[in-house]
Amino acid sequence: MSDRPTELKYSTTHEWVRIEGDEATVGITDFAVEHLGDLVFVDLPDVGASIDVDETGAEVESVKAVGEVHSPVGGEVTAVNEGLADDQGPLASDPFGEGWLYKLKVSDVSDALMDLDAYETQLESESV
Amino acid sequence: MRATPLKDRHAAAKARFVDFFGWEMPVQYAGILAETSCVRGHVGLFDLCHMGRLVLTGPDREALVDRVFSGRFQTLKHGRAKYGFLLNEDGYPIDDVLVYRDTEAVHIVINATGRGKDPDWVNAQKGDLDATVTDVSDDQAMIALQGPGSEHVLQALCGADLSQVRYYGFTTAPVCGHETLLARTGYTGEDGFELFFDKAHAVEVWDALLDSGRSLEIQPIGLGARDILRLEAGMPLYGQEINPEIDPVEADLSFGVDFTKDHTVGVPALRARKEAGPKRVAVSLAAQGGRVARAGCPIVTESGEASGVVTSGGVSPTLGKNIARALVRAEDRDAGTLYAEIRGKQHPMEIVPSPFYKRPR
Repeated sequence: MSDRPTELKYSTTHEWVRIEGDEATVGITDFAVEHLGDLVFVDLPDVGASIDVDETGAEVESVKAVGEVHSPVGGEVTAVNEGLADDQGPLASDPFGEGWLYKLKVSDVSDALMDLDAYETQLESESV
Repeated sequence: MRATPLKDRHAAAKARFVDFFGWEMPVQYAGILAETSCVRGHVGLFDLCHMGRLVLTGPDREALVDRVFSGRFQTLKHGRAKYGFLLNEDGYPIDDVLVYRDTEAVHIVINATGRGKDPDWVNAQKGDLDATVTDVSDDQAMIALQGPGSEHVLQALCGADLSQVRYYGFTTAPVCGHETLLARTGYTGEDGFELFFDKAHAVEVWDALLDSGRSLEIQPIGLGARDILRLEAGMPLYGQEINPEIDPVEADLSFGVDFTKDHTVGVPALRARKEAGPKRVAVSLAAQGGRVARAGCPIVTESGEASGVVTSGGVSPTLGKNIARALVRAEDRDAGTLYAEIRGKQHPMEIVPSPFYKRPR
């Protein structure tokens, strides 16, 4: 039913994180992208910046509103998906792959993350 | 939450709903950008049943309107509409309104947020005048048809020759056989009509207009696109550009005030402030892409001094830019560039002429 990857961890606020060793990649789910509507800009953190768990790691601008990305992991930013500032297409077409937002060297992980089953159970209760 | 008679139609069209001051209203259907360009390029249909409508009758109705409405009313011809304000004693707006001068009555369209307060306030100004204020908001439907194809779409259903109805004119005629007050007014900057009729026919007229507009690719339009359309066209939203703390002079809406009307509530106080010179002024700002300065966003000068605040902001698909109205210090009106402060960073925005968009005529 869904193409959401099973190996990721998900947050209640629709972020995903892929943790590989001490590196983590952060993005937002297809549900978050769909909810924001027409996207126009992505404000990414600076490489080298330090982000805490639940701090705003990035902001995604849509025509309707701005979506704050609550970082599911904390650490030092090692890379950002710079192309998204000019072209937000990958966020809609491939939110779990080409649409990643930033990577960081993990120093802390939120203790409220869910696996895919739990996340999809939450989505069922949220969707109208 | 309250809902309009058209809620089921919106749900069937897969609208996303939002709580708009206690009203469950469609914020978007196909998408805000698509809906905005649909109105600019073709024609769109709006459910405005949540807005308020007052009808003033009785021998002194026009004197009462002249007492509460800031605009020049005495010279307004029958069958014509005018924009202006209901001002409090201090000259701050209680609401912004459109007044329609008919032969036997005066119709006033008020905001949804004004429904709880405007009728009582107008009644309280009556004094010894013999006039009756009737709130018909719950009895009438209000639908707007906006965009270059509006006349074509409505003409097919309407018993009057619409080419004879001028901009800001109105008439009464059957639409789908039901008596309707139809006005060539709107809130998008495009040609179009606003229709007022018995709400028992709301669904029938809505469906008939969608059907009539099919060949022009008509779409229902939500509040999201409506907000962008009116912002592009330089039209204020009550509560944002004007409110009990921002007056029409500051908001650059003096055209809605006849400053010679000493007998109109609030006009003398407002005139005094106009003559003293406003300390804050509204400006239009535009930027090429990047962060979007939205309502409440601080505006600073190049040196970082606080200048003001964004009253409305968004993405303009028509201009391909991010646009905003902001209330800033009067001395910054010619600064050329001001800066929106978002997430600790300053984003330059150019001061541009108003309105952002004018339709080709």
